[in-house]
Amino acid sequence: MRRTIALVGVVLVLLAGCRWPQDVGTTLEDVRGGVLRVGVTEAPPWTRVTDAGAVTGAEARLVERLAQRLDARVEWYPGSESSLMAALNGRVLDLVVGGLDAKAPWTKEASLTRPYVTMQTIVAVPAGVPAPQELAGARVAVPAGTAEVAALRGEEAVPVPVAEVTGREGLPVVVGQWRLAELGLRATGHELAIHDHVWAVPPGENAWQVEVERFLLALSHGEVEGLLAAAEREEASA
Amino acid sequence: MRVYDRFELPPDKAELHRRAVQLEWWTIAFFLVAVALLALTLGQSQAMKAAWIEDMLGLVPPAAFLIAARFRNRKPNDRFPYGYHRSVSIAFLAGSVALLGLGAYVVYDSLVRLIARERPPIGLIDVYGHQLWLGWLMIAALFATMVPAILLGRVKQRIARQLHDKVLYADAEMNRADWLTAGAAILGVLGIGVGLWWADAVAALVIGGDIVRDGTRTLRSAVANLMDNRPRVVDGSRPHPLRDNLLTAVRDHDWVADAWLRLREEGHVFVGELLVVPVPGTDRLVERLEELGAFARKFDWRMHDLVVAPVTRIDAAEREGSDRVRGLPYPQAGRPSGQESRTGSAG
Repeated sequence: MRRTIALVGVVLVLLAGCRWPQDVGTTLEDVRGGVLRVGVTEAPPWTRVTDAGAVTGAEARLVERLAQRLDARVEWYPGSESSLMAALNGRVLDLVVGGLDAKAPWTKEASLTRPYVTMQTIVAVPAGVPAPQELAGARVAVPAGTAEVAALRGEEAVPVPVAEVTGREGLPVVVGQWRLAELGLRATGHELAIHDHVWAVPPGENAWQVEVERFLLALSHGEVEGLLAAAEREEASA
Repeated sequence: MRVYDRFELPPDKAELHRRAVQLEWWTIAFFLVAVALLALTLGQSQAMKAAWIEDMLGLVPPAAFLIAARFRNRKPNDRFPYGYHRSVSIAFLAGSVALLGLGAYVVYDSLVRLIARERPPIGLIDVYGHQLWLGWLMIAALFATMVPAILLGRVKQRIARQLHDKVLYADAEMNRADWLTAGAAILGVLGIGVGLWWADAVAALVIGGDIVRDGTRTLRSAVANLMDNRPRVVDGSRPHPLRDNLLTAVRDHDWVADAWLRLREEGHVFVGELLVVPVPGTDRLVERLEELGAFARKFDWRMHDLVVAPVTRIDAAEREGSDRVRGLPYPQAGRPSGQESRTGSAG
């Protein structure tokens, strides 16, 4: 019994040859020197789909870099997460991006990569506004229609929903940590959420997944923050 | 005379039992560590869920053994006049249900994965700045859980045979099931590495089938035990020779014209009734009967509690009938019979 197991193991390793692990299908082979089909949902500043159909944002830049590495051409397919994940599962798409969080519920349809960056959503103050000792009772400006409104209520703060945080509200504001420098804000030590960011690949395409993860894990936190800040500026100017 | 023995095990066996208790504590510790180790390497995946359930089930036999160990030696009392030996048989039932449950779960889980054509993803992990395929780490973790399971299982099996402890035996089978599933999982991970999505599920299916067979056999044996079947050796492969040997030894007494013996298993020990037909004109019959009872108890440490009763004759048909149920031709008592129909043709 044990001898058989050892034998099968050796054969498997020999079969593997040079590339380990291999895809169940042929995704990596197809993408290399070919077309990278990317599903995208809008999640600024990570991704943004312009009216003209172009895709911008930090993760769009990263996808382009990955494609360049693999000598591939990017094809974008905007859509809802539900429809994109189904397409990913059927290997119609090779990758889905759009501010995905490691806690995303798509583990049945897709394989989420290892988190490549962790970003905090924090309460910050502009110059001249004192940092609140406690959130309870404090008025805090927050982008309307986001989960952070509820998070603030959970801390018994008073959310002041705004269409866009500019740093000129004269109040403590809720922002992603990458916006501190750009808006001239100061962190207060209160954090509302932590997001581990991931991409989604077809399940079982392990060579492809390892290739994508190798690319993502080589990124530094500062590099991603820089891309996010650039995306915010681009959006503001557009 | 003393109606029953206070203690189940003679000193050397009691020492073995203490070792078994220690081993079972180690087993529980091992399973808890294994759960933690797998949680670290597998995260929140489906595979983790399966490993979690397997390890939970693996905790059942040692826990049952340890609980039974606290009860088995208690003195008989008004509420339980036969004592607590059967707690071991109940633990055996619990352990065998867990073993069968494990097998059934492994088969179910791998079938579902096969039918859904689930392609398991295994990506990279970052270990102190080194990027490593997670599969290698999984294989290392699985291998680390395999080795103690093999060692524990072997020692337990040896002690179980000497103690006539079927719970311990079922637990050893559980350890075997564990390292086999771990081995299957290693093959599965390697298979995934070469791009065979079904390797994991197929390997688990084969091993699952083996565990189901094992579990079914053990469960049947446990239920038969509670039905007071003829005692069988600890792995259930053949009838226990004690009854035939003892009956032959009893018949060897020159004042015994005929004898009839029936035994049942109560955990570690055997309990039963012995009918003897004295040679006509035997003097000191009551003393001789008492002596015979003491002789039987000394005959083997497993012989624990035996009622000896004198009768004038033993009906041949009765004798034949009772033996036919047990599937052993009566006159050849003492000869080990390999082929015994387990269900019998009781009528």
